[in-house]
Amino acid sequence: MKTNLSEKRITTGKLTELALLTAAALILYVVELQLPNPIPIPGVKLGLANIVTVYAVYRYRPAEVLMVVLVRIFLGSLYGGSMMTFLYSLAGSLLCLLGMLLLRKVTDDRTIWLASVLGAVLHNLGQMTVAVLIAGKGVLFYLPFLMTAGCIAGAFTGFTAQLVRNRLAGKS
Amino acid sequence: MAKDIRTEQKRKSTYILAVLCALVFLGGIGGMLWNLTRSHERQVEILQDGKILYTVDLDRAEDRTFTVTYEGRTNEIEIRNHQIRVKAADCPDQICVHMDWLESAPIVCLPNHLSIQYADGESASGLDAVAN
Amino acid sequence: MKRIMSVILGVLILMITAGCILQYRKGEGETSCTKELFAMDTVMSFTAYGSKAEEAVDAAMKEIERLDALLSTGKESSEISQLNAAGSFLVSEDTKMLLKAAETVYGSTDGSFDVTIYPLMQLWGFPTGDYHVPTEAELSEVLPLVNASRIRLEGSRVTLGEGQRIDLGGIAKGYASERVMEIYREYGVTSGMVSLGGNIQTLGAKPDGTAWKIGIRDPETEKEGNSGSGAGGILLALPVENQAVITSGGYERYFEENGETYIHILDPRTGYPADSGLLSVTVVSENGMLADALSTSLYIMGAEKAAEYWRAHGSDSGNAFELILVDTFGKVYATEGLRDKIEMQDTERQVKILER
Repeated sequence: MKTNLSEKRITTGKLTELALLTAAALILYVVELQLPNPIPIPGVKLGLANIVTVYAVYRYRPAEVLMVVLVRIFLGSLYGGSMMTFLYSLAGSLLCLLGMLLLRKVTDDRTIWLASVLGAVLHNLGQMTVAVLIAGKGVLFYLPFLMTAGCIAGAFTGFTAQLVRNRLAGKS
Repeated sequence: MAKDIRTEQKRKSTYILAVLCALVFLGGIGGMLWNLTRSHERQVEILQDGKILYTVDLDRAEDRTFTVTYEGRTNEIEIRNHQIRVKAADCPDQICVHMDWLESAPIVCLPNHLSIQYADGESASGLDAVAN
Repeated sequence: MKRIMSVILGVLILMITAGCILQYRKGEGETSCTKELFAMDTVMSFTAYGSKAEEAVDAAMKEIERLDALLSTGKESSEISQLNAAGSFLVSEDTKMLLKAAETVYGSTDGSFDVTIYPLMQLWGFPTGDYHVPTEAELSEVLPLVNASRIRLEGSRVTLGEGQRIDLGGIAKGYASERVMEIYREYGVTSGMVSLGGNIQTLGAKPDGTAWKIGIRDPETEKEGNSGSGAGGILLALPVENQAVITSGGYERYFEENGETYIHILDPRTGYPADSGLLSVTVVSENGMLADALSTSLYIMGAEKAAEYWRAHGSDSGNAFELILVDTFGKVYATEGLRDKIEMQDTERQVKILER
């Protein structure tokens, strides 16, 4: 952990780790696409791929996390979406990432999920901004729904990431 | 000693974060309830790219079906018994079709940049009054 | 450092959330007031924003009730009814103002606007709803009574010609809406609107700084139920500030007999419903009284003469106005000044701009 944070160059080992993470995120993303969405509200979903993002935020440097996220969004849009999904994801993820990176400084291993909740809400705010630009102010109706759903989804992904992190830390 | 201060700070920021999360969550629920219970007019707007294509007065509208096109993709909109819905669409997610008849929540088809919503005095397109 | 950061972040997120909630709440705050009233045979709605919004609206409603009691032909005690009964009467300042304004429009429209039309309206049964298509003989008896040039105004005494009766209905609502604006201003209201049965006048812009958006009905869908246009009755939207928007159309009131439709806008010169090829005329002007009087008279005059009238008088200082005309072919015309303002609600129709 300490070596990871202090090293400037990306070693082959680290690159492999990041690639693996990206792949995992992509798989989660595609799997979620296949699941039927029980709530027919545009923008509401669990965001399984964010488990990886949250995990990465607490383990790697900002630039590295950004790489994972950008590649995942780009490839994810190629697999299962359109130009539109790309824009939404991009706006949401970047805002979320920014918030999470700031929140990392005030959270620890036991409060990752709190940062994740706020990150998810930020993600939704980013999406909402794009949606308002595209579909007009009417979609603001969904903002409270997205925020509530974001809290639940964020808590879920956060706890999962926390679990993953603690398990991996325990083993290594 | 220094460690004590740091843990103390950490505890405080955790507390603030938790309160914040709770506020957002409760605010979201409150907003949902408020949005759902708010009364609305019977004037419905069909928007594409935020611009009004049609305004429909559901109380007086006759039953009909018509098509709205966006970059070659279509949404088939149906008005029946003073209700409105997207009957069929060739967008990938079909969320707009699953939303069925318009209730308080706007029907949105993001891939086709379409939204169907009740007119609202506060929306960019809402009318403040109608001259007679 | 960390604490500061978390506080800043928290405040930021709260601001975003609260901002949205506040935006939703706008228009419902304690500084806005909206009330409705039934008077002059129609529904009137009042909206005002300002620290004394409610007092302003209450005062405006009181004023409307006063004017209604003063000017209504349907009330025997009204000044107009007494004038009509007596033929000569000492009138209030309000009536005097209205008669003077009516006289000006009577002159400039070659008699298309005529307040002495009341006997003709009665003959057709419009005031009572007891509709009846008059015979030639009946018309030739009543038509000579319709001639506003015979009204004498000396000081406060109004004297009508023999058998003449007046109705200020074609101008009173415009005057009333102007009075409402004056009252709003007295109470420090900077943003307000009044709709007197669809005659609209606005004060300033909306509290959020955007213009008031006024819908203009599609006269075709009005009359024949909803056509397939999808626009549900609204033809176009018009953003206005500090202006009155007044529409006259045959669809507002009409009756049918033996398959013929007779609209309530009567041509004072022929005695018959106006048949000028127009379905509706909308006048946009800062002068509500003028807009009210012109919407009726330009409807009677027809598209060509209305455009001519606009070219001659449309930029008179203090009385400037713009027009939207819809003809029986469904064509929409608008005068130059509205070129960039009109927002069509029916994508299949286009506006033809009338140039100066």
